Amino acid sequence: LSERVKSVAVVGRDAPLWLAAAAVQRALGATGLRVQAIELDTRVAQVDAYVAVPSLGSMHRLLGLDERLVLNVCHGVPMVGQRFSNWGKGGAPYLLAFDDEPPPGGDLPFTQYWAKGALEGLRVGLEDFSFGSACARLNNVPVPTPEPNASAASYGYHLDAAAYSELVKQLALRLGVDVASAGVRNIDVDGDVVTGIDLDDGRRVTADLYVDASGRETQLIGRLRRAEFESWSEWLPCDRMLATSAPRLPRLPAFSQISAFHGGWVGIFPLQNRTAVITVYSSEAVSDAEVVELAGVIARMPVSGEAVVSELKAGTQRTPWIGNCVAVGESAIAVDPIDALELHVTHGCISHLMSLFPATASEFPEAEAYNRSVCSFGSNLRDFQAAHYVLNGRFDDRFWDRLRDADMPPKLKRKVDMFGARAVVPLNDDESFHEQSWAALLLGCGVRPQGYDPRVDAIADEAHIEKVQQRMRDVAQTARRMPSVEQFLGLDQAAAAQVSG
Amino acid sequence: MQTVRDIVIVGGGTAGWMAAAVLAKCVGTAQHRITLIESEEIGTVGVGESTIPPIQQFNRILGIDEDEFVRATNATFKLGIEFVDWRKLGHSYFHNFGLLGADLGTGVPFIHYWLRWAQSGGDPDQLKFSSEAEAARLGKFGRVPPSPGRSEPNINYAFQFDASTYAAYLRRYSERRGVLRREGKVVNVRQNGQTGFIEAVDMADGSSVRGDFFIDCSGFRGLIIEQVFKAGFQDWSPWLPNDRAAAVPAERMAQPSPFTLARAREAGWQWRIPLQHRTGNGYVFCSSYISEDEAAAQLVDSLAGTALASPKLLRFKAGRRKASWVKNCLALGLASGFLEPLESTSIHLVQAALTKFLDYFPQREPDPIVITRFNEEMCFQYETIRDFIIAHYKVTEREDTEFWRYCKHMTIPDTLAEKLELFMSRGEVKPRWGDLFSEVSWFAILYGQGIVPEGHHPLADAMSEGDLEITLSRIRAAIKQRVAGLPSHADFIRSCCAAQPAPATTAA
Repeated sequence: LSERVKSVAVVGRDAPLWLAAAAVQRALGATGLRVQAIELDTRVAQVDAYVAVPSLGSMHRLLGLDERLVLNVCHGVPMVGQRFSNWGKGGAPYLLAFDDEPPPGGDLPFTQYWAKGALEGLRVGLEDFSFGSACARLNNVPVPTPEPNASAASYGYHLDAAAYSELVKQLALRLGVDVASAGVRNIDVDGDVVTGIDLDDGRRVTADLYVDASGRETQLIGRLRRAEFESWSEWLPCDRMLATSAPRLPRLPAFSQISAFHGGWVGIFPLQNRTAVITVYSSEAVSDAEVVELAGVIARMPVSGEAVVSELKAGTQRTPWIGNCVAVGESAIAVDPIDALELHVTHGCISHLMSLFPATASEFPEAEAYNRSVCSFGSNLRDFQAAHYVLNGRFDDRFWDRLRDADMPPKLKRKVDMFGARAVVPLNDDESFHEQSWAALLLGCGVRPQGYDPRVDAIADEAHIEKVQQRMRDVAQTARRMPSVEQFLGLDQAAAAQVSG
Repeated sequence: MQTVRDIVIVGGGTAGWMAAAVLAKCVGTAQHRITLIESEEIGTVGVGESTIPPIQQFNRILGIDEDEFVRATNATFKLGIEFVDWRKLGHSYFHNFGLLGADLGTGVPFIHYWLRWAQSGGDPDQLKFSSEAEAARLGKFGRVPPSPGRSEPNINYAFQFDASTYAAYLRRYSERRGVLRREGKVVNVRQNGQTGFIEAVDMADGSSVRGDFFIDCSGFRGLIIEQVFKAGFQDWSPWLPNDRAAAVPAERMAQPSPFTLARAREAGWQWRIPLQHRTGNGYVFCSSYISEDEAAAQLVDSLAGTALASPKLLRFKAGRRKASWVKNCLALGLASGFLEPLESTSIHLVQAALTKFLDYFPQREPDPIVITRFNEEMCFQYETIRDFIIAHYKVTEREDTEFWRYCKHMTIPDTLAEKLELFMSRGEVKPRWGDLFSEVSWFAILYGQGIVPEGHHPLADAMSEGDLEITLSRIRAAIKQRVAGLPSHADFIRSCCAAQPAPATTAA
């Protein structure tokens, strides 16, 4: 008779470690499963920030982590969108927000109506019909409304990384995760199986299943015989990251600002107590010393204090679940910092692991399904990120020119071609982004649809114009009714109380 | 090539008229001319056709009234398929439509809770948690309107209808919306010398019909897709060796069953599809293991009622056209491939191709990028259905005839092998996005064919034993109550959608 999985050891650091341990504990603790967390040295500096797409909110709901608490403790600011500047010479900045997908089975996607309009001379961009983007531009936060057919969008978060890691750690402890705080002396593997972990205090930890949340160092899975890393540097070329801090912005924006420069890009991420300024770049194009100088200039903000450089290496484990070891987060898929996907990857891997949590401890037929889903999940994210780089319009910078010449990943190529042909984006299995998000990205990158769905022609021109105008009015009106970032965070009331008190 | 205006459908029958109807509705005849060419000399099979629930969506697209449609096609309702003698002789199981149990709001599918319960000694019949299966067992049917706030799923259903009257029904629908029908046979297809696009088809009477886009519904021979474009055929007969069917109509059942019956036979299987006015029967077999005459004789012998005609023989080969869209031609139905009707997927494949085609409907010269994508999506559809059907043959204990020994020991596609392995461990197969058959369907078939999963999702263990027991009995009670309130299938049909005035009963 096959035994159940009775113990899980999660090896890793910072938020991914605690998110993984807390998720397993919360779901399976009641069945008597024991979760041990083995904490490695932190890689989070005081100046770091976690920037997350809206899926982090669902992860928090799953873990029972209160949104207000997260925002307060982590000096958080909602991330309604991201604004991309200087990605094309002469190209306008564009915003990527997170509009909810309209319910299926209704009208044709609005993009089709827009594409026809654009071909016939409509000057307004698709972005002006995006509710999330409209909110972001107003520094408002799209909160749910009671009206059933109103536009809706979701928001993500800008969080202080050290505070967030600590918060999730406390949650994991409260849920009952066991923590080994002694350092790791040795990780024992035999071929494709992890056999045990020796700690500095002489203890040896063994488990039925090991989870690698150690990040790009892949301290567990990287030791297994079958482990194989596939580099994505061809499309995601940045190998360095510099984190610094600037003062808090006087009026908190609802979006991140991502500005490209000749050797990479600078991200400005607002927090309640400071502004994280993070530069992601290629060491071939620009030196660390130059970047320290440039970061503040490009961000147009006084950068001061600690400046921490770390290495990046985008790519994926070809087999993220080998034997009794499951890689999650960056250990499985190391994405680029662009598009705020690091914690989304962690979340995605944990979700796949939970949905396929092994039924028995003897063998793991679930691994194959996990590997397939996680790899396609990862390659879809890579393609989304790669679009920024390979479709750049920065001519005459060597770094950017070379990227434009690279062959696109085939599935991205197909999306670009299909979008160019008729404004549709063919989605694959395990996509994280809706068709609308892809459309906004591809338009931002300069792909212009040359056709549209002929069913759009079924409505008369006047009705078409009216439909387009109506949508623009609705979006703008609803966005204006949304609370500002300050209102959303309750900061305006606090300020008022101070004045009157 | 200019703007697509003239659409020509070559071939009537179910596929052709489905195409005509949906194009008439969604593309319209105001700016497009839609012509369908068919010949009365080429008959349709017209025995009885069994469908799956997504056909409701197709009806909704067309905006047709369901009762009217049922009356017009002599249809009955279908809650699933009963499989007899498939796992072993004397054994039967049911492929239920709809869901199983209820959503417990824990994120873990119901089946895992049920598995946990069964694995610790509970009743091994999961179908007690299916309203559809329960109603089918009792010969009941009814529509249950959606009731918000209740976690039990609605009753899901499809139809069993007369294929020839279905085509006729869609023909009336299409002609009312401006579709032109041309009687006659196509004798020649004309291509553009430079582009290879089809420009016109020549008719036997010397006239010709020109078009911008052609839909090939000409059946197995693939008048355009194969005869002209040589799309090629991918042969799946090593996995699905059946290559013949004998079909015969019989008298109507006094109480038509709200399900299709699929009984395994020595060299294939036999269907029974109850309609309002008669019962469709057919033996799908492999000619390497039984002769055509023998199969036809066995079919007629097995009928419960009197045969209304002599058996008709059909020949086919399982597989798929390598591309169903080439240049300005889309192939539908038999012209695009064939999978035996074991899971009633033929009409669905036409429907799936048509809805996808509408998404990619060309304004002008079709873009090769769009065509490639379409063909890939159809390939995926075909392959997932193929795997599902193969599982019925592969997973069996039967070795009593040469046919079944072959099936039990044949090699299967890797995609299916991976699903079977996962299922043995935990009762789920993780279908991919866009897979036609859900976990519930896979469970019904694989469990019914004899795989008893060893484990279940460990998250289902988080519920206490007492809570589990209460939850399961509450759901069971709700299902019993729901089914108890349903009329008999025959009464339901009589009450709202009988094809003709109900025949006078003896009590009258």
